[in-house]
Amino acid sequence: MANTATDGTSAALDSRRPLLATEDVAAFSRTLGEAPMGAQWRQRAAEVAATIDYPDRVRHLWKYTDPGRLAPQRSLLQVPQEVAPFDLPDTPAVLIQPGRAPQPNAAAIASGIEVRALLHQDADVEWIGRAVPADHGYFEAMNAAAFNAGVLVRIPRRHVAEAPLRLVMAAEAGRDVLPRVLVIAEESSQATVVEDHTGGGDGAVVIGVTELLAGDNADLHHVLVQRWQDGTVGHLTHRAEVSRDGKYLGAIAGFGGDVAKADLGGILAGPGARSEMIGVTLPDRRQRLDHHTLHRHTSGHTWSNIDFKAAVSGRARSAYTGLLRIEANAPSSEAYQENRNLLLSERAHADTIPELEILTDEVSCSHGATAAPIDPEQIFYLQSRGIPADRALRLVVRGFVEPTLQQVPGGLRAELEELVEERLARLEGSA
Amino acid sequence: MSDSRNTPIFSCHDVHVSVEGKEIVKGVDLEVGAGEKHALMGPNGSGKSTLAAALMGHPGLEVTGRIELAGEDISELEADERARLGLFLGFQYPVAVPGVTVASFLRAAMSARQGRDVPVKEFRLKMQAAFEALGVPRDFAGRYLNDGFSGGEKKRLEIMQMALLEPRMALLDETDSGLDIDALKIVSAGVNEATGSETGVLMVTHYQRILDYIKPDVVHVFMDGRIVRTGGPELAHELEERGYDWLADTTTASAGG
Ligand SMILES: Nc1ncnc2c1ncn2[C@@H]1O[C@H](COP(=O)(O)OP(=O)(O)OP(=O)(O)O)[C@@H](O)[C@H]1O
Ligand SMILES: [Mg+2]
Repeated sequence: MANTATDGTSAALDSRRPLLATEDVAAFSRTLGEAPMGAQWRQRAAEVAATIDYPDRVRHLWKYTDPGRLAPQRSLLQVPQEVAPFDLPDTPAVLIQPGRAPQPNAAAIASGIEVRALLHQDADVEWIGRAVPADHGYFEAMNAAAFNAGVLVRIPRRHVAEAPLRLVMAAEAGRDVLPRVLVIAEESSQATVVEDHTGGGDGAVVIGVTELLAGDNADLHHVLVQRWQDGTVGHLTHRAEVSRDGKYLGAIAGFGGDVAKADLGGILAGPGARSEMIGVTLPDRRQRLDHHTLHRHTSGHTWSNIDFKAAVSGRARSAYTGLLRIEANAPSSEAYQENRNLLLSERAHADTIPELEILTDEVSCSHGATAAPIDPEQIFYLQSRGIPADRALRLVVRGFVEPTLQQVPGGLRAELEELVEERLARLEGSA
Repeated sequence: MSDSRNTPIFSCHDVHVSVEGKEIVKGVDLEVGAGEKHALMGPNGSGKSTLAAALMGHPGLEVTGRIELAGEDISELEADERARLGLFLGFQYPVAVPGVTVASFLRAAMSARQGRDVPVKEFRLKMQAAFEALGVPRDFAGRYLNDGFSGGEKKRLEIMQMALLEPRMALLDETDSGLDIDALKIVSAGVNEATGSETGVLMVTHYQRILDYIKPDVVHVFMDGRIVRTGGPELAHELEERGYDWLADTTTASAGG
């Protein structure tokens, strides 16, 4: 193999199973300066990883994405010598890069939110793995054992964070990044965390896991922005666990990368818990974007809603699978889910599979899925008012996602709208 | 180009329109002078809307013939280019565009027509004046375009758009249908107001009724893809009394024009 330059220490990987020997994992943990319990936790995860088979495409969650395209390309468990510089805004922000401790800016430090490297305290193992255990799946186990860009975010009890905290998750061309985020929103706290997956390029691979724990009566907003550059591939797993009377709002803007799969979910774990997820994806050119959402009600008197929209253009493909699961001990729950797809070109494709698993009575559930081509009469109508066809197309797509964005509170909505605009500007050339 | 007064504001010559290979408009000639109002009347399915959409530049129609706006050949232009030059189509069935508010749409349309970014303040004043003139409630500004509007509300909004866009030539496709008499009076006043001595109007309609409020200078009878007769306002009354059947025989006779 002439295409991958390897030195003596980094053996080229079998792309189907990364080498995660427990002693290597422990050594990596020490290199990163983690607490002893942290090293143990990673080692157990490595053992779990060894027992999990590579995802099989016959399993329906993997029907639409080839897992082989998401496999890390290089040796894991290494600390890169150099990382690309990234600018942070003046608002509270933290730079998360492989092999480096999280780098908060001054505003983040002043925010009253604790931000530090994950697994640097023994107590972290009480929280890590709660919402996404190592045995969640192949990529999640790999991440648990080998994550190289970890951050813990703790919003103290009753703390109200005025400004959103932005986690800048920097992917890099030719590099495997395994970010892991643990957000602990303590009782009655309020905060917004923006996870901004940016950077990347040819050969960039990202295997990420995010756990969000919304404590009793906490109000946690989370925005996942995925705007990797072309050439990037990745898999992101998110779970929010919402305790009694807690509220979670998850907004997903899944835009970037050549092949990207995201497994996003909320677990309604205490009475009165609410979870709302909205998603917008706008795959174009030859992108393959695959989103799975899950709302699992493990407690009664809980409420969830999902509104996911995909506008697909060029030769892109979008896949959406959405599962609502109401456990047997979760009566008086409400769960709603809607997925709408707009096809902007003849070669664009969207799959949509909504599923319900209801194991108890007395619940109120609905789900819906639609896929339709853009209506040429809408474009003509707008054109007849002087608006050029490409602009008309963007207006219609913007209108398609607008009611979804409307469900997001003010400041965040403006940010999402801007991201959508930025993204739509790309449509011009691809119609 | 000897005398600009002799140049009609709008004309078309030998316009044929086909949909999926089927000819629906079979050779139409029209000349509308500045300030003139023409009525185009004809039975259901005769091709009136198809003609209007073709003149506006619908991309899904196969159109031949020559179309001119103020002496300029617009036959090859896209619909949006025609609109920016001052052609307007009031739709028989205005299309809903969910998620796009009336206000943001109107501002985009006005900016396109005027070739400049219309400032928010100026736009708001104009929009509110137009809302008032056509009896459209103010909260329409924030509603999604034609989404869940009643038939009459949509028609008012069409004429409101015409007023804001100040076209040189307005094609109004059954702007009167679906309106009660009060709404009809308001909409007609709106049309009369917006179309002074410079604007040409082609009103497509089934009914004599609107012609009591918008007085046509010329009436065309349109049947089976052709104009079979052209006359003055009295022709509309004749149609009202006698229907279209008596003209059916003349369809072939006057086809040559
Ligand atoms: N997109 C289309 N595809 C196929 N046939 C069409 C299409 N549009 C119009 N037609 C046909 O062309 C003919 C003329 O339709 P058009 O809507 O132009 O008539 P009209 O005179 O406006 O009728 P009305 O008075 O009912 O509005 C009809 O037979 C109609 O079915
Ligand atoms: Mg019609």
